[in-house]
Amino acid sequence: MVTREDLTAEILSNAEVAPCHYLLALAVSPVYRDARPGQFVMLRPGGLGIPFLGRPLGIYSLSGHARGARIEILYRAAGRGTKVISTRCEGDRLEVLGPLGNRFTCFPGMDTAVLVAGGIGIAPLVFLAERLTTGPAKDRVRVVAYIGARDAATLLGVDRVRAFGAEVRISTDDGSAGHRGPVTELFRNEMGSFDTARTGVFACGPYPMLRRMGEIVADRPMPCQVLMEERMACGMGACLGCTIEVRGPGGPEYRQVCTDGPVFDLRDILWR
Amino acid sequence: MRPLTEVKIGSLVLKNPVMTASGTFGYGEEYSPYVDLNRLGAVVVKGISLEPRKGNPPPRIMETPGGMLNAIGLQNVGARAFVTEKLPWLRQFDTKVIVNIFGETLGEYGEVAAALTGVPGIHALEVNISCPNVQKGGHVFGCDPGVSGEVTRAVRSATDLPVIVKLSPNVSDIAEIARSCESAGADALSLINTLLGMSIDVERRVPHLRNITGGLSGPAVRPVAVRMVWNTVNAVSIPVIGIGGIMEAGDALEFLIAGAKAVQVGTANFVNPRVTMEIVDGIEEYLLRHGFGDVNEVIGSLKTG
Repeated sequence: MVTREDLTAEILSNAEVAPCHYLLALAVSPVYRDARPGQFVMLRPGGLGIPFLGRPLGIYSLSGHARGARIEILYRAAGRGTKVISTRCEGDRLEVLGPLGNRFTCFPGMDTAVLVAGGIGIAPLVFLAERLTTGPAKDRVRVVAYIGARDAATLLGVDRVRAFGAEVRISTDDGSAGHRGPVTELFRNEMGSFDTARTGVFACGPYPMLRRMGEIVADRPMPCQVLMEERMACGMGACLGCTIEVRGPGGPEYRQVCTDGPVFDLRDILWR
Repeated sequence: MRPLTEVKIGSLVLKNPVMTASGTFGYGEEYSPYVDLNRLGAVVVKGISLEPRKGNPPPRIMETPGGMLNAIGLQNVGARAFVTEKLPWLRQFDTKVIVNIFGETLGEYGEVAAALTGVPGIHALEVNISCPNVQKGGHVFGCDPGVSGEVTRAVRSATDLPVIVKLSPNVSDIAEIARSCESAGADALSLINTLLGMSIDVERRVPHLRNITGGLSGPAVRPVAVRMVWNTVNAVSIPVIGIGGIMEAGDALEFLIAGAKAVQVGTANFVNPRVTMEIVDGIEEYLLRHGFGDVNEVIGSLKTG
């Protein structure tokens, strides 16, 4: 049974690493040792005002810690909840629920992983890049990361992904770093170089970007997993609030991002 | 000595007055990593209709100050799948299982009640006449005293299980509706369901919910709920179950002191999945601290001097 202690995290650091972007390190209980790329936590600063509900945030890294585990969360202070979280300091405690959700999965015979990240969508993909490059030799694959951001200042995770040995391609909206333009177009220009039978694509970013990814890979048989994001209350399949629509055998069906996802097959998503 | 915490809702005996509120605790299993269901007075499961329902299109929820709006639209697996797939798991626990039911027509209320009667492991029915988020049924039944009574009667005549009618706060006179349900044969009343609300994304000038309006829950609604429970307790002689923004034991005690025989904890489960057990413990601590040997001494003990 999950204890009260498991639901508490201690802040080890919470630093602004780019304008409005923060890297939060948490000491959490041993239940996080089995966390996998794609999974998320519900983080709550406490109190009954705003924010009232937890915020679903993807896991950026996982390592050992005397308390059990250390996880990092890379987040953008975009709304009222994440802004409050960004004001919390080392030594403060946060309420935490997790690890939650499913995970990214590889397929037999996959030898190349293509990561396509838009903005803060890089966060869960860095955890994936780490697992795909630092695990047992038989599980390692070539990782090519397409990382897009608004500008050079908000381009995050690049050094880490490079340190894992991944090949990195960069794009920014304003051209201040790498290719100028959407990251999806950079990927599209080069996608012909990947063997569709051995390449898995993993994407995370704003919905318009993921939707565009769907159009780009539509006529290529490359498996493509995307990490979806919706407003959530519970994170564990009870509130039924984080619904998305997917293609079902008999027509559109609803799925819960928290327990059926957050990772979905891109081709199943029905965009609204 | 540990204080006694057993309460009676008509013929239904609960080991303590703490239940989960429908729609906030799934079918129980979702919370099993966090809550020992044996410790709860009862589990009230997600509302069940005769046939499965997909629910409303997203977005379905929005956070609000001290709470949230939801318009889930009564998504559920349907009575048949509930009995075959969900209920067997719940039977292993020493707690009472209360099934929240609803229909789109009077006849459907009776049918779903009948379908769940005589099924081992179901101890009572809670009749939802108050969901604000579906076009048919729910709310429209709960707003009119006459129709509320008719729904109660339809369920009453279809089942021998204890019948709890869940009332809407979105009415002008809760006492009149409460009395109508009582005289139609309800064994108990539970209230409040969510308050109708709305919130707008001003940047895009669209409602935050696809359904436009939704039901408000969370600590923001608690004073309204306590007031309505107090009004209802004074209007009827059947047991009343208090619901609305309970986040901790002290909040639950407000309802008990106002006269509720038991409480349901809803939105708080989303914020703290262990909250129901913590409230059970907290009520016991309160009883000890105030020298009460039995929770029933606290129920209805409000001093209005």
